Amino acid sequence: MAGSAYFGVWLFAVSAGASALGGTLGMASGIFIVPILTMFAGIDIRLAVPASLVSVIACSCGGAAPFLRASLTNIRLAILLETATTFGALCGVLLSGLVPVAALYLIFAAILALSAWQMLARRAEPTPAPANAADWASLLRLHATYPDHPHGGEIAYRVHRVKLGLALMYGAGLISALLGIGSGVLKIPAMDTALRLPIKVSSATSNFMIGVTAAASAVAYFARGAIDPAIAGPVALGSVLGALLGARALMALSGDRLRLFFAVVLVLLAAQMLLAAAGITLPVAGA
Amino acid sequence: MTARAGRTEALLAALLARGTWAASAVIALGLALGLALPGAAGSRVTSLGIALMILLPVLRVAVMLVLYIRAHDRRFAAISALVLAIILLAALLGARAP
Repeated sequence: MAGSAYFGVWLFAVSAGASALGGTLGMASGIFIVPILTMFAGIDIRLAVPASLVSVIACSCGGAAPFLRASLTNIRLAILLETATTFGALCGVLLSGLVPVAALYLIFAAILALSAWQMLARRAEPTPAPANAADWASLLRLHATYPDHPHGGEIAYRVHRVKLGLALMYGAGLISALLGIGSGVLKIPAMDTALRLPIKVSSATSNFMIGVTAAASAVAYFARGAIDPAIAGPVALGSVLGALLGARALMALSGDRLRLFFAVVLVLLAAQMLLAAAGITLPVAGA
Repeated sequence: MTARAGRTEALLAALLARGTWAASAVIALGLALGLALPGAAGSRVTSLGIALMILLPVLRVAVMLVLYIRAHDRRFAAISALVLAIILLAALLGARAP
């Protein structure tokens, strides 16, 4: 295997690039890794998904510390929602062998399109809603505060509709395990619209949960020997390095043009995934 | 309560940051060995690093379980234990599935 060293270096560089670019927008690289591996490296999607999950874990764990130290992560809410995301991931792993490859590509295309839309839509801070002292969030003491840097105080926020949040998180965990992504694209709307968290708290808590969610499916893939170290190793290492570089560049680049560029890239990848889905179903239709 | 929450967060931050470095270092060592030596030694070390990376968030949940038990927060200790149990179940069931 003379070509394997070169292939590993290529995987490392491409993952670092994808992760650095994604990091400049505070987005995980996971959504780019599977399309890169399947389309450009010709790797089977069933091998690409577990490899991508390892890099999703690495980026979540590697990026969690600054959010935690800034007291933006709501760890009580995170561990509660992780019961739903890990259970979704468990179901996703068990389903993964049953879902046809063409369907995986179709779901992936839909998630990419949703990401493109989310990239262009502006997230708005939730408006305050009436408090209910007997709801789950109050019983479990999930309400918290986060620091308000310009003014130096603490901003208190309340957590809403925990049951709806849990249901949406189950779906996010399932999709994460099936597609090898962090599912931040599904967690963020659940946190913004169901739980009505402030944007900074929502991003920090989502990033914190992504590692555990991906770990629940990655342990299963690892246990069945579906994680190829020659693919997952360089991809994880490249992603960690890229995320570090991307976080540094976050301040330096202008947001709006980059957002548009990413939305275009995501739409192109979605189109490619649709073609891949069609390409795989065509021989079946012809037979 | 705020001070205690701050300490928990600092502990988890240190665990995740150092753990990511440690697992990445083992993966890097494995890849370097793979380039330098023939045979499967490199890929075994890389697999070990990957296993460490996967176990890092699981360890984070285990640490939270211990902290909640120490704080006599039974409800959140049970919630943490449930997350660990689901991950363990995923490992057991996942190993059997095709």
